[in-house]
Amino acid sequence: MEELFGVSMNTIATVVIAITLVIFALLAWVAFRNPVMFKTGLRNIPRRRAQTTLIIFGLMLATVIMTAAFGTGDTVSSTVTDDIYELTGETDMLIVWDEEGSPRPEDERVIPLEDIAAWEARFAGDPDIDGFLPILLETLPVVNTATQLNESSATVVAYDTAAAAPFGSLRDLDGNVVTVTGNQIVLNEDLAGEIDAEVGHTLVLLYQGYPVEVVVAAIAPNSFLSGTFNVGASEFPGGAVSFEFLAEVIGRDDIAYAVVVTNAGGVKDGLERSDVVEEKLNEVIDGTPYEVVPLKKDAIEIARLVGSVFTTVFIIFGLFSIAAGILLIFLIFIMLAAERKPEMGMARAVGAKRRHLVESFLAEGMGYDLGAAIVGLIAGVFVTFGMVGLINAFAEAGLGLELHTNLTPRSLAVAFCLGVISTFIVIFLAAVRASRLNIVSAIRDLPEPIVTNPEAATWRGYARAVLNAAVAGGAVAVSVFALYRLPDLAPLFTIALLFGLVGPFLFVLRRHNFGAPRHERLPGQRIPLWPLALVPLIPFYLVALLVVRVMRDRNPQPGLWLIILGILLPPIGLLLIASQDRDRPIAWGAGFGVVGLALAALFMEWAFSSNSYFFFAGGISLAFGWAAFTLRYFRVAERASFTVLAALLLAFWYVSPAGALDFIIGDLEGGPELFFLSGIVMVACGAFLIVYNADILLPPIASLGSRLGRIVPAVKTAVAYPLTARMRTGMTIMMIGLITFSLVMFSTVNDNFDNIFLSDDAKGGFETIVFVNSNNRTDDLVGALQERGVDTSPIVAVSEQRIAFAGETEIFVDNPVDPSAPGYAGTYTVIGADEAFFGANEFELKRRAAGYGSDEEVWRAVASDPTLAVIPGNLTGEGGDFSEFDLLKLDAAFVGEGFQPFDLHLHAPGTDLNTTVTVIGQMDDPGDIFWNGIIVQRDTAVAAFPDSDSQRFVIKTVGGVDQEAFAKSIESGLPQASAESFQKLLDDQRAASQGFLLLFQGFMGLGLIIGIAALGVVAFRAVVERRQQIGMLRAIGYQRSMVALSFIFESGFVALSGIALGAVLGVSLSWVLFTSGGIGEASEGADFIVPWLQLIVICGIAFGASMLMTWFPAQSASRVAVAEALRYE
Amino acid sequence: MTVDGREPDLVIDATGVMKTYDTGEVQVQALRGVDLLVPRGEMVAVMGPSGCGKTTLLNCLSGLDTFDAGQVLINGEDITRMADNEKTEFRAQGMGFVFQTYNLLPVLSAVENVELPLIVSGTRPRDARELALSALERVELREYANHRPGQLSGGQRQRVTVARAVVNRPSIVWADEPTGALDSATAGGIMDLLVELNANSDQTQVIVTHAPEVAARCHRTIYMADGLIEREEAIRPLAPAPA
Repeated sequence: MEELFGVSMNTIATVVIAITLVIFALLAWVAFRNPVMFKTGLRNIPRRRAQTTLIIFGLMLATVIMTAAFGTGDTVSSTVTDDIYELTGETDMLIVWDEEGSPRPEDERVIPLEDIAAWEARFAGDPDIDGFLPILLETLPVVNTATQLNESSATVVAYDTAAAAPFGSLRDLDGNVVTVTGNQIVLNEDLAGEIDAEVGHTLVLLYQGYPVEVVVAAIAPNSFLSGTFNVGASEFPGGAVSFEFLAEVIGRDDIAYAVVVTNAGGVKDGLERSDVVEEKLNEVIDGTPYEVVPLKKDAIEIARLVGSVFTTVFIIFGLFSIAAGILLIFLIFIMLAAERKPEMGMARAVGAKRRHLVESFLAEGMGYDLGAAIVGLIAGVFVTFGMVGLINAFAEAGLGLELHTNLTPRSLAVAFCLGVISTFIVIFLAAVRASRLNIVSAIRDLPEPIVTNPEAATWRGYARAVLNAAVAGGAVAVSVFALYRLPDLAPLFTIALLFGLVGPFLFVLRRHNFGAPRHERLPGQRIPLWPLALVPLIPFYLVALLVVRVMRDRNPQPGLWLIILGILLPPIGLLLIASQDRDRPIAWGAGFGVVGLALAALFMEWAFSSNSYFFFAGGISLAFGWAAFTLRYFRVAERASFTVLAALLLAFWYVSPAGALDFIIGDLEGGPELFFLSGIVMVACGAFLIVYNADILLPPIASLGSRLGRIVPAVKTAVAYPLTARMRTGMTIMMIGLITFSLVMFSTVNDNFDNIFLSDDAKGGFETIVFVNSNNRTDDLVGALQERGVDTSPIVAVSEQRIAFAGETEIFVDNPVDPSAPGYAGTYTVIGADEAFFGANEFELKRRAAGYGSDEEVWRAVASDPTLAVIPGNLTGEGGDFSEFDLLKLDAAFVGEGFQPFDLHLHAPGTDLNTTVTVIGQMDDPGDIFWNGIIVQRDTAVAAFPDSDSQRFVIKTVGGVDQEAFAKSIESGLPQASAESFQKLLDDQRAASQGFLLLFQGFMGLGLIIGIAALGVVAFRAVVERRQQIGMLRAIGYQRSMVALSFIFESGFVALSGIALGAVLGVSLSWVLFTSGGIGEASEGADFIVPWLQLIVICGIAFGASMLMTWFPAQSASRVAVAEALRYE
Repeated sequence: MTVDGREPDLVIDATGVMKTYDTGEVQVQALRGVDLLVPRGEMVAVMGPSGCGKTTLLNCLSGLDTFDAGQVLINGEDITRMADNEKTEFRAQGMGFVFQTYNLLPVLSAVENVELPLIVSGTRPRDARELALSALERVELREYANHRPGQLSGGQRQRVTVARAVVNRPSIVWADEPTGALDSATAGGIMDLLVELNANSDQTQVIVTHAPEVAARCHRTIYMADGLIEREEAIRPLAPAPA
């Protein structure tokens, strides 16, 4: 894997390793400068072993997730890459007919041997090219006469095996060079296995219905030279014959279908010459109808891309757990700070500065951090092995290869460093927060006193908060973002950025003697000299001023007032910072809320200029955050304002993705990242609603008193305690809620899409599909089967279909809604169906054109009129298509309810053939899986695309037939046919879908450990905090079991709140998105199913594990020695 | 021991109570064989220097802590023979506690704190609420019933604690430095309350204290030193129990 989110992995590795080294250097410096405080921090680690274990366990999750995501990407990338090297061997390039540039019928797309001879002569002795090899290629049915087993589509490649030495030669399984002559064939392993062939067996190849006998000369590993050309397929049945032999069979001895080229060098190092060789070959073939395909290079790039896609997908799905992990880290350190408060207060009392506390806390935190990163790395490697095993078990058929776990040292280093860095940042913030304590309150372990502030809840205080936030980092954040988004205002934001950079440094000095009047200076504290390091920034400021002047002359967009403001505002801000009362509290929440509002405005600009829903929704969410902080600052009924804002934002996240605001904002586009953003914002809103309103549960609980009897106090305190510690309760609910949300939403959406696309409706009333080798078509399937003794009595109806695949067609469409608007062009599969299909199919239509009263009417019309067509649901879908071709995509507005019929202009590439058909219906989405093509009459398709020779049959049978056995009987009777039961195909797809679902659920479910660890941490802390209260409860008559029960109820309340929140939000958002079509047009109006069983399993596991985790602190609470506890302080 | 020439109705009958704290490295003998008899209705103050074993004695006698040797009979029942759950039940039915640091549940209101002992001992919630309100009335905090501890002053909190201690009409109230965290005026108020409760019922009270003015309000003061009762002093006579 070479890239992640478009950034080179080498760059990422360099940056994160450098940052990690800086962190270690910083710690070493702290340890050297103040070893006592450093040791104090480190010695805290082994004090409570159970708690330390829990902390490390919780902190490691981010590293586990990143290691597993990188490991899976590495594994996929390296397995595919190795497979490609194995298949291509020394073949690097391919010269073929340029189908797009020079469209011609298939039999004309050939390369004369004399052209190839000329190229060989031209490049003889070239230092970059080792050789050329002309090849012929046919896909033919093969029958083994010895075993009577057959393969309907084997790739037979023909070339001069004696001339293949520069390509590594054709070799058998033992590595011996094989030369093929006469009617000999060398089979690749897949074909040999398929038809149970051995050396000496006689095989029959069917070419256009005529048998051709060949004898197996050897079995070779799968490779290009043994007929393995399809890199993406799961099986590669093929073989190699001599060039002369196949030339004689097809009756053309002066042409090749393609030329393979080998670069100088070996299998891997030859790749480095690909660009040079491509350039040289292009010089030669310029002006010819051929093209050079850098086969190996393209394949390797795709392999790396696939690896990156895997990593990206896993990281996106892991973001929920990473977010929960960050919350956990913060929570843990808030708890630790609370636990250490009296010690820290004492340390401050005897002379330790705030900085010392931060250093001590950092030492302790980094001890946990390093331990967690190492454990996480090891656990991540195990998880990777598990995930690769799961992928192999469920998705081998889909990937086409078996993955071999491979983790590169670079990925391990990146995962480790990212784990260390993310934890360090959170620890640092928590440490700074913890160091701001009132010494007296801390020593007595009392709540922090509220510092009186005459400016509290005033506009003056608000303005000061904004100014401080701007200087302390807000200006940097806004400037960096604005420089990127608003290049026209670059001069202004350059200035702001420069001062923004200075601001945080100056802010750190706020509590030093720097800038303080002489009489206010703290005795014994020197003015630090390091701010002098800022002096070099002055020239940059001057340069920036110059830039403003130059830019203003050339680009007058930024108004003069804006530039002046930009130049003056930061210095004014700095002056205010330096001159304000050093001890007056600053309302940081309100200040950074305004920074958030500025970012929200920039997000909006970005959203509308790049049509991005992510930034629109992110901007709206930030604006709500600003409103919440502002209302809180002005002491506007906190409970009411937070409740209303959270409810409104939640409502926005329901109505907006469903398209309810489209009339204002237009149709913005969103991607999978919205899944994460919606989860974070909605779960946060839900957590606010719960922690500010759950006390309404107390009266009903009290009224249950008579029924609950003695446990009513335990139930009451279970709700009351968490609500008095809103921050830790809210964070724990969020952690559990986030993971439950992601699991539930993923399961619900996946199940509903499976319900649409993998339902039995996909079969359209048919049971068996039969593909016939295009070189050996049959007009009468039933007759051919009967001729070979196959029992055809179960057959009720047979439909023959001729198919022109995407790439073999060109389709043009005028815009039917606005004829003056540009039309649409692209390629798409066209399916020509016979009368039997139109009479027997049971497909439902999603839309019918005006004038057609029923689906049957539409099908009858197409059956009787060769100029009519039905399009598939996917043609107007929103999802991306993984196709090498530029597929036609139509606007869904064309096929609204009762739409006006419109024309498709079909064109066969390289011919003058043009056919126009009129669309009168659109198939429902289940049809997409097997009938993803434009359906017309068979004769229309044949006439429009005579060169497209693919043929298939679909069969409807009587009930009670063993479909798999029936399909096998067709294959054994008709060698050129490959038959499969629709049911089996659907079952395979469902199994693969469920396998992937399980894999992702397992991966995302890792995050549950975080939520559970959080519950454990909170509960353990509660035992310590409430030791005296537990003692008192025991003194007045609480049994041990009752004490334990109250802790279990309490954690149960928090866990249930998180689980219920995640489940309700996940299901409801899925419902909104699904039924509104917000997640794809296919789902609009579809039946919504709730996967109850999965929900019960997910919620049950989450709750059970939570209760298990709480069991230990609950037991610990119940064992508290009463007398000890009452004496405990 | 006699009261007005009659054998007293003993509530506490402790003999040879010994308790050693083992910290792993050091062993501290907190009680070295204490004998103590307390008749019903007596207010006993336990005084002595820090570390002499006052609180340990209270904990051992009340069943909050175990002891190594000796016997303690409370209302004639041997608590040394009781299992933990039995002891807990016994405390819930017949004892009340007042501590220096109040130990109220901050998340419950005053009345909810007071009704806790009743509910855990099986009283119907409605009855428990009525009794709790009446107990608060006795300590003159009826109007603060729905306030949480955080909304009350130190003296008010301690009065809630006293209300909680007496709400189930226990035969003994154990108080460990009940006025230790209060100013002298508030402390006097709390002692008035305890004396009044003692006077209006036959409730026995054992009060651990450092304050001579608290001890002066009791019937008897026991002075401890080095884990033993050094001496005792009668302050005022114990009123005779009704015949």
